[in-house]
Amino acid sequence: MPKSQYISPEVAFEKGFIEFDKIPLCQYSKTLAEEKKIYTKDDFLRIYRDMRIIREFETMLNEIKVKSVYNGVAYNNPGPAHLSIGQEASAVGQAYCLDINDYTFGSHRSHGEILAKGLSSINKLDETELYDIMKEFLGGNILSVVEGKENKKGDVKDLAIDFLLYGALAEIFARTTGFNRGLGGSMHAFFIPFGIFPNNAIVGGAAPVALGAALYKRSCHKKGIVIANSGDGALGRGPVLEALNMANMDQIRKLWGMDGKYDDSGMPILFNVFNNFYGMGGQTKGETMGFDIAARLGAGFSPEMMHAEKVNGYDPLAVIDATTRKKELLLKGEGPALLEVATYRVSGHSPSDSSTYRTAEEIEEWKNACPIAAYRAKMIKGKVATAAEFDAIEEDIIKRVTKICEMAVDETISPRMDLDKTPDMISSIMFSNTLTPSMDTEREPEVLMPKEENPRVKQLATKARFAYDEKGEMIPKIKQFGLRDGLFEAILDKFYEDPTTIAYGEDNRDWGGAFAVYRGLTEALPYHRFFNSPISEAAIVGSAVGYAMAGGRAIVELMYADFIGCAGDEIFNQLSKWQSMSAGILKMPVVVRVSVGSKYGAQHSQDWTALCSHIPGLKVCFPATPYDAKGLMAEALNGTDPVIFFESQRIYDIGEQFHEGGVPAESYTVKFGEPDVKREGKDVTILTIGAVLYRALDAAKKLESEYGISAEVIDARSIVPFNYEKVIESVKKTGKIIIVGDACDRNSVMRDMASNITEMAFDYLDAPPVVFGSRNWITPAYEFEKYFFPQADGIIDVISQKLMPIAGRTYTVNESELEHIERNKVGL
Amino acid sequence: MANLVIMPRQGQSVESCIITAWHKKKGDKVAEGDIIYSYETDKSAFDEPSLYSGTILEVFAAEGDVVPCLDPVCIIGEEGEDISALIPGGAAEEAAPEVKAEEKKEEVVAAPVATGEVVKGERVKISPRAKALSLKTGVDMTKVVPTGPHGRIIERDINLALDAGYRASSAAVEAFLRGEAVEVPEEAPEAVAPAAPVAAAAVNFAECEEVPMSGVRRAISRSMHASLSEMAQLTLNASFDATKLMAYRASLKAGAEALGLPKISLNDMVFFAVSRTLLKHPDVNATLKDDVIRKYKHANIGLAVDTERGLLVPTIFGADTLSLAEISKANKEAAGKAREGTLTPDEMSGGTFTITNLGSLGIESFTPVINPPQVAILGVCAITQRLKADGSVYSAMGLSLTFDHRAIDGAPAARFLKDLATALENFDILLAQ
Repeated sequence: MPKSQYISPEVAFEKGFIEFDKIPLCQYSKTLAEEKKIYTKDDFLRIYRDMRIIREFETMLNEIKVKSVYNGVAYNNPGPAHLSIGQEASAVGQAYCLDINDYTFGSHRSHGEILAKGLSSINKLDETELYDIMKEFLGGNILSVVEGKENKKGDVKDLAIDFLLYGALAEIFARTTGFNRGLGGSMHAFFIPFGIFPNNAIVGGAAPVALGAALYKRSCHKKGIVIANSGDGALGRGPVLEALNMANMDQIRKLWGMDGKYDDSGMPILFNVFNNFYGMGGQTKGETMGFDIAARLGAGFSPEMMHAEKVNGYDPLAVIDATTRKKELLLKGEGPALLEVATYRVSGHSPSDSSTYRTAEEIEEWKNACPIAAYRAKMIKGKVATAAEFDAIEEDIIKRVTKICEMAVDETISPRMDLDKTPDMISSIMFSNTLTPSMDTEREPEVLMPKEENPRVKQLATKARFAYDEKGEMIPKIKQFGLRDGLFEAILDKFYEDPTTIAYGEDNRDWGGAFAVYRGLTEALPYHRFFNSPISEAAIVGSAVGYAMAGGRAIVELMYADFIGCAGDEIFNQLSKWQSMSAGILKMPVVVRVSVGSKYGAQHSQDWTALCSHIPGLKVCFPATPYDAKGLMAEALNGTDPVIFFESQRIYDIGEQFHEGGVPAESYTVKFGEPDVKREGKDVTILTIGAVLYRALDAAKKLESEYGISAEVIDARSIVPFNYEKVIESVKKTGKIIIVGDACDRNSVMRDMASNITEMAFDYLDAPPVVFGSRNWITPAYEFEKYFFPQADGIIDVISQKLMPIAGRTYTVNESELEHIERNKVGL
Repeated sequence: MANLVIMPRQGQSVESCIITAWHKKKGDKVAEGDIIYSYETDKSAFDEPSLYSGTILEVFAAEGDVVPCLDPVCIIGEEGEDISALIPGGAAEEAAPEVKAEEKKEEVVAAPVATGEVVKGERVKISPRAKALSLKTGVDMTKVVPTGPHGRIIERDINLALDAGYRASSAAVEAFLRGEAVEVPEEAPEAVAPAAPVAAAAVNFAECEEVPMSGVRRAISRSMHASLSEMAQLTLNASFDATKLMAYRASLKAGAEALGLPKISLNDMVFFAVSRTLLKHPDVNATLKDDVIRKYKHANIGLAVDTERGLLVPTIFGADTLSLAEISKANKEAAGKAREGTLTPDEMSGGTFTITNLGSLGIESFTPVINPPQVAILGVCAITQRLKADGSVYSAMGLSLTFDHRAIDGAPAARFLKDLATALENFDILLAQ
């Protein structure tokens, strides 16, 4: 909450009523005569053609699915096919007014949306641009297939339609000639050059992602609007509601302008609900929802009611009319907006759907209302074109779809990825592993003051960058340059280098982040680069994903690592997967900062490195020193891969005790994946993950002074990727290793490492690698932490119990094998 | 009434704060709500408003000071008021007795290191590392005492047995690990000789015996490598006419028994001469460590002894105070202890110079390696026959002096060697001094 906005009890307790405006329902009433003034005959016919192409494309998919043959082309498609037969007018109507600067994001029933947007873009692009796009995409791979052997250009727009249909179908059939090399498939097809962004197999998954793309347009001053498409069923999902709320944040129009200095327009996003009345089988109206009419939701999110309205999605002209008005509104800066497009899916949810949830009569009635047939009849009756003309269009489409289908099922021209010949094909796209210090080198970063005038920068100049003075004595903690200061410096540097970099999360601005990492950024940055988000973890991470997809770099913060659960889908399914599902076309320069709590009990103290490192596609690190924190943050921010950056609240104030010369003021990087030997030794290796490093060092000192045992302490620093070589070298020397961390023992990263080390260094081991993590309990109150988290004495005990018995040792913990068997028996 | 203003505690984890600015000073008037000072934690900055009206009577911390939370910062009261009771450490302040946390009696498990015994016929519990080491070294497994968890044999157990000299053969280790009874002769032979190959068997020319470095070998290796890599060593070679020296020794040999003297060797005599000459050359009787040269008032001379375990260098302390007979006796004792392996670390350190003798092995000159942190070492060489200008033959003994050029220059080192040669050539005079 900025100090400029004042809350008084008087206003808070004011009497009155909330007044709602009317939300228009299917108010479109233009006559064909009126519409003829807007559209030419070609326009009218193209609308028909586009609807008919989608219908034929999906009919083909359905035939292949249920009969394994379409028009004489035999094929068996084991993949999914979520069809939207009946919804064509809605898709074509929406796409009509959009160009390649307008981005659409879809649901998992989006073949129609993708094709409609593609066809609209083909119509608007000039031939040279269009040909260049096709030629450049995936090295002209798809183009060469549709151009055939003759390689003749012919009619570029016609060729482009083949290109679009083939690219989408080959993707659905998992061919390397698909838009994403067959790695995305039916539910994740997209084509960025036409402004078609990914659809999403997770219901509602695209809403926060689309918001992020809109945020990119808004923060980086880009042209166009963003449409977040979803079905009515998705409105029950938290991330969708979070995205709706976040898009409407008051600050965008009230604070981001900064008194005329910057743009104060609203978020350029249209939430478009294709309401087909069923979320798979659950009936949203009358059964699973209470809103009755989806457009009503607009009234809940902003005083402008999100300019909500409902249109008839079976009339393409009504949808064009509504979408065009919404686009104009967004471009004027009055967004966001909400549009409900009422429609109906006559096909099943999938081919296996026997429609047990609806009557045959209902389906029949909607089939009779077919938007394509109705449109054709209206056009013939209104003398726009003759039946023969429509028949000719239809005939051409059937021929075209048959040809495309033949090509897509042909193994020779549409091969699948050959993992026998190129076994590393998928490995090579799991991470982009590129260093791109600035995502936009054209633009100057927008900042409020020169870096050196920043109050935090000035304050840090007085701090000791090494924890010890010349005499080797520890400098008072408050005078030390801490871990949080290292993070701050790396992040501040990036803000002054990359104009697209933005940061947000809960309580980031003014407060400076709950743990003061961001203190000083408020003074440095305008709102549109650095702001407080609502308490909406799903929307925070989801929007960062969309921001990166659109071309920017985002740093988002989840105040406690425990809130990873609130952003589960966004971290585990969106952030982690889009680089590889796009065959490396998309980059994901996002750093998610998560803080492991201390003293805050069961829901605020958990180390969830295991959850994040389990998911392929995420880089994970957990630095424990200011030098490593600054260097790893700088490395994460130079890269284009998603990083889950773990921090510990125990050590935000810790000074640099290892790196000679202290933490450099200038920029530097620490490579991901390289563990670091923090103390050399020869008898036993202690491998630590995160803040437990300092307890391990205490244990090492005690081992040396009391038992004459020399312990080597290695700080993992990164978890994914991780180079085992240094650890194996150490184990070869010592023969014994204990792995410690604050995560609960079961299924932890420590367990994974122990298992790997056993396999990699078995012959050198003098004892099995042992793990000492936290108990498989809830985190108790601070006063009991020593019974829960590993302590220095416990580490020595485990070494004595499992690696090398120490004479005369009195134990504080019992970590014997027998004890572990007993604990496991009862699920502990 | 005067009031103490304390440093607030801004959060559980905050232990202390830095005062960044004073807005009032001692003697200033303050009204309730006035900002007295600003301070910051590592997380944020705060202004401290006064809760009282009055005058600042005392200030306990300056700008930039770190003040622990809840410690006094200043006193506000009426001018002239007695504030002694509020001043920390003042008469009225009583230290609150520190409540000693009741020591919790924990349920503890005593941990004696269980030493097990390998039971014949049962699977031998041994770590992969210890197993590899046992096979490589051919340790006598019957002498290995398991000290690992659950009676497992671990690396240290093998090493202990090896250090005690218990060796058998790899074949014996394999048999032991298979659970077979293994008998090793009580005298622990160096290695069980492999059966002589039958004539037809091909000879393996790559065959070798791998011997891990012993502790002594490792120590020598480290010390010698450090010596050569850290110092600027060079060697001067000289010889002297040993005719009188040998004659004197011959006379001693004849009368020794009668006089009850020990058998005095040429080496003892060189040792004696060195102990006297060193006192005149403190540059050479010195050590160099961490850029400090220490010149010693007595000659503590190291005696290089060749033993079965490797080179050992016991120190003869205060050699300059000992007579020739005493030196001879001390040398014999030290060499004996070295061969028996009963020298203590103290007996092998503290030297200021070292003498090593390869003369008995016929070496005519060599480059001895300095024993750090000493700065010089004398090599005693063989006696050879040389011709004088007049054609007569005499016995010449070689001396090789290696010195550390960081500590000593060439000329002073050469002067030492010359003085030493002179002393040895006139051994009778030296004795008389």
